[in-house]
Amino acid sequence: MSVDAAELNEKLHRKDIRDRWFLSAPALILIGVASVGPLLIVLLYSFLAPGNYGDVKWAFSTDGWFNVFFSRDIFDDTVSLADAHFTIFWRSIRLALATTVLCLIFGFPTAYFIATRAPQNRSIWLFLITIPFWTNMLIRAFAIQEVIRSEGLINTILIKLGIIQAPIQMLFTDFAILLGMTYVHLPLMVLPLYASLEKLDFRLIEAAYDLYASRFNVLMKVIVPLVKPGIIAGSILVFIPALSSYVIPRVLGGGKNLMIGNLIELQFGQGRNWPLGAALSVTLVVIVLFAMLYYVRNAGKNGGSAHG
Amino acid sequence: MDQSSATASHGGAIGMHGIKKWFGNFQAVNDVSLEIRSNEFFTLLGPSGCGKTTLLRMIAGFEMPSEGSIRLDGAEIAHLLPNQRPVNTVFQNYALFPHLTVSDNIGFGLKMLGKPKAEIDAVVAEMLKLVHLEARGNNLVTQLSGGQQQRVALARALAPRPKVLLLDEPLSALDLKLRKSMQIELKRLQAETGITFVFVTHDQEEALTMSDRIAVMSQGQVRQVGAPWEIYDRPAERFVADFIGETNFLDVDVVDVGADRARVRLPSGAEIPATFPAGTQPSGKVTIVIRPEHARATASTAVTPLSGTIHDIVYLGTDTHLHVRLADGSSFMIRLQNARSGPCGYSVGEEVGIEISDDVAQILRD
Repeated sequence: MSVDAAELNEKLHRKDIRDRWFLSAPALILIGVASVGPLLIVLLYSFLAPGNYGDVKWAFSTDGWFNVFFSRDIFDDTVSLADAHFTIFWRSIRLALATTVLCLIFGFPTAYFIATRAPQNRSIWLFLITIPFWTNMLIRAFAIQEVIRSEGLINTILIKLGIIQAPIQMLFTDFAILLGMTYVHLPLMVLPLYASLEKLDFRLIEAAYDLYASRFNVLMKVIVPLVKPGIIAGSILVFIPALSSYVIPRVLGGGKNLMIGNLIELQFGQGRNWPLGAALSVTLVVIVLFAMLYYVRNAGKNGGSAHG
Repeated sequence: MDQSSATASHGGAIGMHGIKKWFGNFQAVNDVSLEIRSNEFFTLLGPSGCGKTTLLRMIAGFEMPSEGSIRLDGAEIAHLLPNQRPVNTVFQNYALFPHLTVSDNIGFGLKMLGKPKAEIDAVVAEMLKLVHLEARGNNLVTQLSGGQQQRVALARALAPRPKVLLLDEPLSALDLKLRKSMQIELKRLQAETGITFVFVTHDQEEALTMSDRIAVMSQGQVRQVGAPWEIYDRPAERFVADFIGETNFLDVDVVDVGADRARVRLPSGAEIPATFPAGTQPSGKVTIVIRPEHARATASTAVTPLSGTIHDIVYLGTDTHLHVRLADGSSFMIRLQNARSGPCGYSVGEEVGIEISDDVAQILRD
C-alpha cells in the first residue's frame, strides 16, 4: 500500500510539473510567434538579394551586410567605409544616451515627489503621469512642433516680449529631437523609479541626516544606492525605444537629422533595399544587446562592491 | 568633539524651556521644560501618544518646536538641522543602511564628517569591540540577528562621539531575555562612554532598571521628574502612580499636616502617617497610594488599619497577589513574596487584616 502511495505521489508531482509547463505555453507561443520568429525572418532577409521593386529575391547574398559597413562608389566601384551609416548610428546612440540622462534628471525628482505624497494621493499623481499615453505619439510630436517652430508659441511670446528680435531655430535640430524624446519617454523612467522609491524606508534618510550627511550625500550615499534597481530598469526602458525612435526624429528632426529608425525605414521604403534594411535592423538589435549586457553587468558590479 | 578614546568624555547637558509642538490642530507637546544633566541616563517614560518621541525628535532636529528653546550646553540648538547637532539617534527600527556592511554603517557618521580613513577604521574597530561584534565587520547588516542589528545601531550612533545619544524605544523589538541583557549593556555603555543618554520608552520596568532620572509624560506634558525610587515610592499624582507598577488607591481625610508627613484617616477610622509631594499642602479629602508589596496580610483583623475578605489569589511565580475586598467594596492588592514551601497559605473567602507600615503611604496631588 505504502509503495503505491509513494508511486502515486511521484506521479502526481511529475504531472504537476508538466502542468506548469503547459500553463506557461501561451507565453512561450507568444514570444515565439511575436518575437523570435520575426527576428529570424529579418535575419534571413538580411542574407538575400534585393528585389527590383522592394521585397527580396530568393538568392543568397551578403550585399545587405556589406552595405551596412561599406559603400561602393557608383562610378569607379571603389570601396570605402559607410561613413553616413556610422554617423547615424553614433548620433542615435548619443541622442538615446542623452535622452536617458535627461529622463533620469527630470524623472527622479518627479518620482520622488510622488513617492513622498500621502499614500491615498499617490495614485492620482501616477494617473496624471500616464495621461500623455492617451494621445498618439504622432499627434504629440506635432504638438511639440507647434510649440517650438519659428512662428510657434515660444518664439512668438519671446518676440512679443522683446527678449529676442528674430525667431530662434529650434525645430529640426538635435535639441528638438532631444526635447521630444525626453517628453515621450519620461513616464517610462518615472514609473520604475517610483516603484523603487515607494519601497524606500524614509527613516534611513533621517538616519543619514542624523549622522551628519549633507543633502547631497543623503542622495548619493543612501537614496541612489537603494533605488538602483529602479534606475537600471528605467534607463533600460528609456534607452531601448529611444535608440530606435522613428516618429520623433522624423517629425521634429526634419529630413536631415536621421536616426537608425529613419535609416531602416528609408531602406524598406524609398531605398527599396530590404536586405540592407534587415541587416541594419539586426545591427540595431546587436547594439542594444551589447549595450544592455555592458550596462547591467557594470551596474551589478557596482552594486556588488557596495554589498562587500 | 573628543575623538580620542571610548572612555570618559563629557556628555552634554540639555535644557528645554517652554517647548510646545503642534501638528495641525493636534498639540503633541504642551509646555514642557526639562533639565537633562551632563552624563546622565535620562528616560522619557509614558504611554504611546504622550509626546515623548516628539520631544526626542526635537532634540535630534527632525522636528522644530512650535514654541520654546532647546539648549545644548547653554547654546541654542532648536533652529539647527539634524546634521549640525552633535547628537545622534538610535532609531526604534534601527534604520541601518541595508546596502552597507556593518563596518560601513558604523563608520558612516565619521565619513560624513570628513574624517581621514585611518581614523575611521580605528574608531570602527573600537566600536565593534565595544558592542562585541568584532567578527561581523564585513557582514551585511541584513545578515545579522535582531539583537546584533541593535548593537550595530548603537555603535553607529556612538562612533561620531556625540554629546548626547538619543534612544527611541530601541529595545521594543527584542524578546524578553535579549531585552534584559541589552538593558544592562546600555547601562554599561553609558557608564563607559560618559555620553548623556536620553532614552524613550513606554516600558516602566525598563525605565526603572536603567535610568538615573525619569520624566513621566502624559498628554504632551511632563507629570513628574525624579530618580526611579522617587517615581515609584513618591508618585506625585494619580497618573504617575497608576502608570508605574501596580498600586492601591485609598480615599482618605487629612487629619494633621507636619513638615514632611501628614496624618490621614482611612475609611475604617484608623489613622496612618503619609508623605506628600514637595510644595503641596494637603488638606480635606485626598487620595493616598500604598504599593501592594508594602502591605502585609495577617490572620487577626482586630488591630490592623484595614481588613477585608480575600476574593482572588493570583500566583505569579516570584509573587502571589491577594486581592482583598474592603468594607467599602473596593479591592486592595497585597503582594506576597513566594517561598519554596508550597501555596501561600491563604484561601479565597478568608477574612484577613491588612498591616501597613509607618512609611509607605504617599498623598497624591489633585
